[in-house]
Amino acid sequence: MADDPTRDAKRFDPMEPWRGMRDVYMDAWGKTMVDMVNSEAYAQASGAMLDSYLTISAPFRDAIEKAMLKTLEQLAMPSRADVVSIAERMTNIEMRLDDLDAKLDNIQRLIVQAGAAPRLQPGKAPQPTKKRTTKTKPVKRGKK
Amino acid sequence: MAEAQVISDPFAAAADRLKTLTKVMTTKASIAQTPKELVWTLNKAKLYRYIPVLPKEKRHPIPLLLVFALMNRPYILDLRPGHSFVEYMVNEGYDLYLLDWGAPGPEDKHLKFDDYTLDYMPRAIRKLKAISGSEEFSLLGWCIGAILTTIYAALRGDKGLRNLILLTAPLDFSNKKDLTFARWTDERYFDVDKVLAAFGNMPGEMIDYGAKALKPVENYVGNYMKLWDNIDDPRIVESWHAMNSWVTDNVSLAGGAFRQLIVDLYRNDKLMRGEFMIRGERVDLSRIHANLLTVIADGDHITPSCQSEPIMAKVSSADKELFRVKGGHIGIMAGSGASKYTWPHLNGWLGPRSQ
Repeated sequence: MADDPTRDAKRFDPMEPWRGMRDVYMDAWGKTMVDMVNSEAYAQASGAMLDSYLTISAPFRDAIEKAMLKTLEQLAMPSRADVVSIAERMTNIEMRLDDLDAKLDNIQRLIVQAGAAPRLQPGKAPQPTKKRTTKTKPVKRGKK
Repeated sequence: MAEAQVISDPFAAAADRLKTLTKVMTTKASIAQTPKELVWTLNKAKLYRYIPVLPKEKRHPIPLLLVFALMNRPYILDLRPGHSFVEYMVNEGYDLYLLDWGAPGPEDKHLKFDDYTLDYMPRAIRKLKAISGSEEFSLLGWCIGAILTTIYAALRGDKGLRNLILLTAPLDFSNKKDLTFARWTDERYFDVDKVLAAFGNMPGEMIDYGAKALKPVENYVGNYMKLWDNIDDPRIVESWHAMNSWVTDNVSLAGGAFRQLIVDLYRNDKLMRGEFMIRGERVDLSRIHANLLTVIADGDHITPSCQSEPIMAKVSSADKELFRVKGGHIGIMAGSGASKYTWPHLNGWLGPRSQ
């Protein structure tokens, strides 16, 4: 154990005091920065920077968008607005399908319950008459 | 020979460290590995059901639905094997479901809290009920997910919601002094309409910058120093890698929801004042009757405790508890102490209420 080089290296690590100093400095720096970002001045400055960026980039964004729209029109390709519109309609269709799916689930559950109900009554055998059997067939009820 | 060993070892060690550093900085860790099945989708939203590991008679009959924030990936709840809340709860016998909101595209820029709480959540819950066969269920919401679950509980809580767990829930925005985000997004400095006109949705990178800028030195410098200091410890490196994979996987926030978050909540505190409207319905917190557990992280700089505490006095739940735990916004559920403190407490509270 005494010959373990890792242990020796840990014991005589010359970087350890430096790390300690670094951590103390980092803590102090961190606290100063937290105070800074919490100030009104920072909120104002960051807001102004974002606003400038958005204002300056707006004409370029518009120009690129218009040029892209024209190009797509020339190439007979759908624009972003067209694709977005289709995607929105798809979501609406998905919702309708989901509602239908839920209704089908419900119907299926009712059919299973209805099918299981007579079997739950011991001693009551199903009536052998032809007419009755066809009427209580679960599949036919489900179709209705 | 011995001399050569002494000279080469530091170089070999440095090369190994560099290799590890390159790997963790340039690759994604294997995350979200608890077995699950996709049971429902709508637009980008997905509902997963985790495969139970206990036989039915040993499981809790009331299913639990996890709802995470809109602008982060929900796999923080299932970070890595042996350190996953999802894995823990499945092993404790919960019928567990996770609602993943996905990443909104340009077509989703109009999505609001209204759509998430009245279109997506009720449909996902309907599916959960159909699969589990239970008319009752529990909800766990974390961060913005807690806003969504609170709204749902107030509007549709009578549809079988038995238990509500809110983790680091930003619900009260009245204390502007302690809310850095409120200061940054003040209408004098931040033009929300201009931002959304430019981007449609609020870009994930901007949200990520905002979250990190709250503690800039810790997030931009200290985090990497921590990695370098522990680069020879595979356990810490693995944990750092997984967390970094999650932190750098950003999701945009739908424009409509972002506008509501800033204007209605951060600026006007409408939810707590009982003025928040969802499709014409007022969100009345006193209509919440479900058993309530609110979890507050003592060291949370994103959602300070003043945002989560006041709901306790607003709800009508007869059974309610406020639980404080040491840690940060994410650390309480994904940090090293999560499996010792937060998870067992959640299980201890929810277990008897899920019978």
